[in-house]
Amino acid sequence: MVLTLRSNPLVGILTKQKALPFILVMLVGMLFSKTRFYTPYNLLDMLNSSSILLILAFGVTLTIVAGGCDLSIGGILVVSGILSIKLQPVMGMWPAILCAIVFGLLIGFVNGFLVVHQKTEPFIITLGMGLLLTGVAQQLTDAHPLPSQISDFMMISNGTFYGLPNLVIITLVLFLLSAWLMRYTQFGRNLYAIGGDYEVARYSGINVIRTKWLAFVLSGGTAAFAGFLLSSKLNTGSAIYGDLTALVVNCGVVVGGTSFAGGIGGIPQSALGLLAFGMLDNVMNMLDITSYIQILLKGAVIVAIIWLDSFAQKRKREAI
Amino acid sequence: MSGIAKEGTLRSVADFMRSYLLVVLIAALVIGTAIFEPRFLSGMNLINLMRQFGPLIMVALGMTFVIMGGFIDLSVAGIINLVAVVTISLIQIVGQVPALILGLAIGAACGALNSAVILSSGALTQAEALFMTFGMSTVYSALALLYSHGSTMHFWDINKSKSLFQAIGAGKVGPVSISFLIFLALLALLWLFQTKTTEGRAIRLTGGNKIAAELVGIRIRRSIVVIYTLCGLMAGVGAIVLFSRITTAAPVIGAGFETNAILAVVVGGTTLKGGNGSVLRTVMGVLLIILMSNCLNLLGVSPYLQVVAKGAILVFAIWLDNRKQ
Repeated sequence: MVLTLRSNPLVGILTKQKALPFILVMLVGMLFSKTRFYTPYNLLDMLNSSSILLILAFGVTLTIVAGGCDLSIGGILVVSGILSIKLQPVMGMWPAILCAIVFGLLIGFVNGFLVVHQKTEPFIITLGMGLLLTGVAQQLTDAHPLPSQISDFMMISNGTFYGLPNLVIITLVLFLLSAWLMRYTQFGRNLYAIGGDYEVARYSGINVIRTKWLAFVLSGGTAAFAGFLLSSKLNTGSAIYGDLTALVVNCGVVVGGTSFAGGIGGIPQSALGLLAFGMLDNVMNMLDITSYIQILLKGAVIVAIIWLDSFAQKRKREAI
Repeated sequence: MSGIAKEGTLRSVADFMRSYLLVVLIAALVIGTAIFEPRFLSGMNLINLMRQFGPLIMVALGMTFVIMGGFIDLSVAGIINLVAVVTISLIQIVGQVPALILGLAIGAACGALNSAVILSSGALTQAEALFMTFGMSTVYSALALLYSHGSTMHFWDINKSKSLFQAIGAGKVGPVSISFLIFLALLALLWLFQTKTTEGRAIRLTGGNKIAAELVGIRIRRSIVVIYTLCGLMAGVGAIVLFSRITTAAPVIGAGFETNAILAVVVGGTTLKGGNGSVLRTVMGVLLIILMSNCLNLLGVSPYLQVVAKGAILVFAIWLDNRKQ
């Protein structure tokens, strides 16, 4: 009986997934509130405002599944956002965007070199890289917001396509693309193998260094892509948006069920984790909760969910 | 023969460079800046340098024990925010000495709460501790915002005696500032705790290998409570020194302290893997950061590029530390 329960995929998801029950609780709870939560406008708006964090999470998931993590994405986000605006007068809009993305890929390459090739501790080295890039962003803008002069630039993120916001469509496409990459390609499967057991993966003939390195390069690239989308959404580049973004996104990925131990999780889980954060923000706004209490609740939710995750792992250790 | 001896000396020079790289770097910085900018060695600047041994070193000393114990604490920023706004308002309500004691107690209590959260979940890895303390930091910062309604509190709003805090902030004994003396006293205490007590050794063994430490009978749960409580307490000391010096307390006063404290500890040579390190190394790490920003200030480098330099040094120090192993 227990076995059949265990093998039931739905029960499996509910025990591994902390974000999904949390989302369901919010969805059911909002049924009883007299707010405009259940309107297409609000639901789309919620997706739209979570989209940047979701895109960041797709890249970070690759590194976490491979047994690393990437805390430099906040820095990459702001610097590439600023570059995509600052380079516009020099070379035009599209080349500037391309340069910003190449910049992100390069930083990812350096992260990969330090973490994978030189085998340094990923979270502290990427934290340092994030700090460095924040300084670069402040230097580039003199710590002032930098507006874009090209009106088309703003329309990339703020435009709509058959009533759907562009950002939501871009996020959806990237979601499908990265989920396919993780699940159906050799690269994705190798990442799970590397995160599960690095040495075993190496001895089974996987080019571990190249594969894990590529995960960091892609994470840098997606962070840069998100950076230019954020600049386009706000029509400004600024150094301040990156401060807590990296921690929030990595946290959201873990909350979704992608474990820091590596080898477990995936893109859909990360999407759920970040959506849970986005929905919490939206619900708290709908219920007119003051901003300080919102910060408090968000912190408490982060602690509670990571606590549950660790506790489950402890139970598993003790069961063995 | 002489070739071997030469190689031997070369190797020992390389070994010396590697183990005392920080000392070499500090010496190079001092000599280099003194040549380019003679004002560097002026009495004014030296007193100024001594004043810099303020809040950051206090927080970094506490963080040293957490990292030595194999964990990490991102909540110090939140603790500083909370302790600063609560303590400054308590001066008005209960007087300065009780306010000081209560402020330190809040810091220690926050640290103890962190350890309770970590212990009850059974988290053993640095990554789990990282995110839990990040969440706790958010909670403490939110409490600080709620308590102060988001406003900044000033010394001049307090009409009770605040001489104690003014002494901590700006007092001097001869040419030596009081905050520097507090730092020396705390450093001596913590150094004795680290080297002469069983608890200090237990912390290092816990950091080295938690499971092995538990098997040989070390109470790792107690070590975890001690390191986080100590870190919270030292963050409280840092908060009090900080707001006494700038005579105001805003609920966002502690932002960035967690990264800078970790930076100082790691640059000083305490490895993140846990198990080794020393408060003295952290002092060297802080000294390097202070000297660097002082030199860059004297040379007229923009503060933004100084952040870049800090990040680069952090990345470089960790990379170097890793190569040593």
